[in-house]
Amino acid sequence: MSTSTQSAAAHRHTSALLERDRELDQLEQCLQRVEASSSGMLALVAGEAGAGKTVLLREFGERKGSREWVFQGFCEPLSAPRPLGPFLDLADAVGGEMRELLSAGAKPHAIASALVRELDDRGRASLVVLEDLQWADEATLDVLRLAARRVVEVSALMVVTYRNDELGPWHPLRVLIGELGARQTLVRISLAPLSFEAVAALAAPFGADAEAVYARTGGNPFFVSELLAGGEAELPETVSDAVLARAARLAKSERGLLEAISVAGPQAELWLLDRLVPDAREQLEQCIASGMIVSSGDSVAFRHELARDAVAAAISDHRKLALHAAALEALASPPRGEPDLSRLAHHAAGAGDREAVLRFVPEAAARAAKLGAHREAASLYERALRDADDLPLESRAGLLERRAAECYWFTDFEAAEQSQRQALACYRQLGEELRQGAALSWLSNLVWETGSLAEAQQMALQAAEQVERISTGRERVAAYIQVAQLELAAERPDRAHGWALRASELADELGRPRSVVGAMMTLGWVEFFTGEEAGLERIERAIEMAEAAGFEGEVAGAHVIITRTAARQRRYDLAGRHAHAGLEYCDGRDIDVWRYYLIAWQSKLELARGRWDDAARLAGISLGEPCPFARVHALVALGLVRARRGDPDPWTPLDEALASALPRGEFQWIAPVAAARAEAAWLEGRTDAIGSELEPALGFPMRGNDPYATALAYWRWRGGLEPKCPAGSEQDPLLLEVAGRWAQAADSWRRLGCPYEAALALIASDDDAALRESLQKLQTLGARPAAAIAARRLRERGARGLPRGPRSRTRANPAGLTTRELEVLPLLAEGRRNAEIAERLVVSQRTVDHHVSAILRKLDVRTRGEAAAEATRLGLLSQR
Amino acid sequence: MPRYMVQRTFPEGLQISIANGGAEVCGAVIERNAEEGVTWVHSYVSVDKRATFCVYDAPSPEAVRRTAARNQLPVDRITQVRVLDPYFYS
Repeated sequence: MSTSTQSAAAHRHTSALLERDRELDQLEQCLQRVEASSSGMLALVAGEAGAGKTVLLREFGERKGSREWVFQGFCEPLSAPRPLGPFLDLADAVGGEMRELLSAGAKPHAIASALVRELDDRGRASLVVLEDLQWADEATLDVLRLAARRVVEVSALMVVTYRNDELGPWHPLRVLIGELGARQTLVRISLAPLSFEAVAALAAPFGADAEAVYARTGGNPFFVSELLAGGEAELPETVSDAVLARAARLAKSERGLLEAISVAGPQAELWLLDRLVPDAREQLEQCIASGMIVSSGDSVAFRHELARDAVAAAISDHRKLALHAAALEALASPPRGEPDLSRLAHHAAGAGDREAVLRFVPEAAARAAKLGAHREAASLYERALRDADDLPLESRAGLLERRAAECYWFTDFEAAEQSQRQALACYRQLGEELRQGAALSWLSNLVWETGSLAEAQQMALQAAEQVERISTGRERVAAYIQVAQLELAAERPDRAHGWALRASELADELGRPRSVVGAMMTLGWVEFFTGEEAGLERIERAIEMAEAAGFEGEVAGAHVIITRTAARQRRYDLAGRHAHAGLEYCDGRDIDVWRYYLIAWQSKLELARGRWDDAARLAGISLGEPCPFARVHALVALGLVRARRGDPDPWTPLDEALASALPRGEFQWIAPVAAARAEAAWLEGRTDAIGSELEPALGFPMRGNDPYATALAYWRWRGGLEPKCPAGSEQDPLLLEVAGRWAQAADSWRRLGCPYEAALALIASDDDAALRESLQKLQTLGARPAAAIAARRLRERGARGLPRGPRSRTRANPAGLTTRELEVLPLLAEGRRNAEIAERLVVSQRTVDHHVSAILRKLDVRTRGEAAAEATRLGLLSQR
Repeated sequence: MPRYMVQRTFPEGLQISIANGGAEVCGAVIERNAEEGVTWVHSYVSVDKRATFCVYDAPSPEAVRRTAARNQLPVDRITQVRVLDPYFYS
């Protein structure tokens, strides 16, 4: 066989799909389920770079024949990804309203709804493929989050691919996947590396050393194919070397085109390549023939992103700058349609062209911000600022403030604060007093979020004074609101009320809707905080006004206010309703700053309801995001779940909660943490530690009828200390218990919907029946330490025959193996011979022979290896 | 990764099956364990088969409980443990 035919045959062979039958079957089954039930599903396809995710889906699409029902979208590794990139790809094929909404710059929730509507009524199931979501922008993930939840409504299989080896613990996609959790309509497919056998089959036509190929590639399909296609006598060490070896076999001019594609791509249009390289179309033939480049209509792309990386990394700096500059010039005046801002920004940065950076990057950032892609917007502003040293101070300050605002939305408060401080410095230099005041007021909010109330209060007051001198307008209302909210954080509602009232009067005078809504919410908050029902009504009215006016941040903020205030007052149903409404509202509306805070509150609400699995799950979601104030609540919920169950390590979360709460210097953060720590110490039987755990929460002004304050009194009492009950809190269920009215306390807790606290209140009882009820409830809840305390009290009172715990669930033994066979099975699975098993179980070898053949028969397998695999699959080995 | 000892009680003994969980449900067990990053190391079973002591490597106690719930296994008590080797000192 000649070299070229051998290589052609080999190329065909490498593109055959090996060892992906199971994954193709999984996709097939999903599609069949969707078609049969008309109810959609989501498949997550994960694998390392080069695992063959795209190839798998291409194969699946081809097997299904017709292409008109397949919609594809891609994410690209640009320095700041195109906002909603994959949905822009889909839009042309999906058509209808979705395309209009996207070009109009609609918000993610509107786009998700449109997508779902468009997929409905297509007559047959659609396949929506979204690729490489590890590079997705924030707005895309918002659409995905909503669409994933609503895909059940339509007949569609949505497939999302991502590189699981590139998701750090806080990658937004990982958080999203965690939130999706386990549900019937979600299927996870992970692409394993190829086995040695498969690698050997691929290597054979090349006459390559299969063991060496396998050792070098670890079975990564892409690396295997590159390595074999490189055709070098020496096997290259890395993927990149393998790719470059393959490229080296092309002519110089063809390599030039490869480089241009790598810079212009991921998808490079033919017209663009014409502008970058002489005779591009002639060179293209060979590039496609080499198998490195694939063509799709009027654009081309590398067959794999890893190859593009390798080629791009090997270009000389000088040539790279030139290619970026040429691409920038060409893309600024495309033959059709409007220039693509994200790409202009990308190439401006790549070309190191300061003027172009300052022209296109802020514009791209503003567009990303408008679409809700805040992370991308922030990183674009940051990029623009790198070249902004020579800009006029005012323009620089504008960029800095916009960057701060974007960072705020995805809870990077430290970056926001740093940027805002620089903006303030610019305004000071300019002597712009009003802007200084407004910027300082906003900075005070950021300083507060990062954790320093005292400094924030000082700034807010200074800003109010400064603005007061110049403005009678919105800046002044905003400054008063800021002071009022911080006074509330300092637990001084009377002072807060004064400021809120001034803000409200001024706002009404101005008649500017946003100022009116903001002041109304703040005044309502102060009133509701002190228990006035009128305050709640005022906030609810503000929500209606804000909704009608489309003030999205205000709507979400008002739900947050009601949730946290109601939860503190133990009005759990009210809090739960608003947490839910707030989350629904935030979803897809680029208001992530409140999402994780609301989820943290939900976790505390579930804890109060005794639903510990849910509390722990929600806490986990919230902790996936580095939002400092959401973390404290989530950590308290997680620590208490562990402490109440008697699970290991309640103190890691509780220690972190304390460490984050202390520097904030606020009662609202420190008191719940201190109470939780006192509770955990009590459950561990360390009653003497309670006093010192409560110490940090003392010394704050305390009001009557505040559950945060009564909890401190209660735990002091449990710790054998003087409770010092705050006045006016006699009906608080905790203090009823302190007063010995345990039955009444338990009733109160039941009415509040708190089964754990109700059972705990009965522990103080002197009545055996009540104690037994307490014990039984605590056992049902899985509250091991508290149940042990109840049981000890009963035993001390001479009770006998206490239940040891609720009846446990047992599980099915699907294969119907006997007890003896179940004993033999794990030994067999470990690979032991019958003689060994016989010795272990002290029976004759003949008996073991019988058992083994019975096991093989019942599991319907031929070999011992298969028996082990089948037993694992059935869960027969993991049930012990 | 922390190691945990998980105590489980099976009042009727391990071999009693209450309902047919179905092969499909069971087939997902391995994948579920892996999804939570939980590895079952090995177990000790009491002679009367009513109690098991199972050693797991898991990222958190919640992960142990989640896999237990998914696999329909009871959990009485989770203890974080380390290995003590008596011959280490000899």
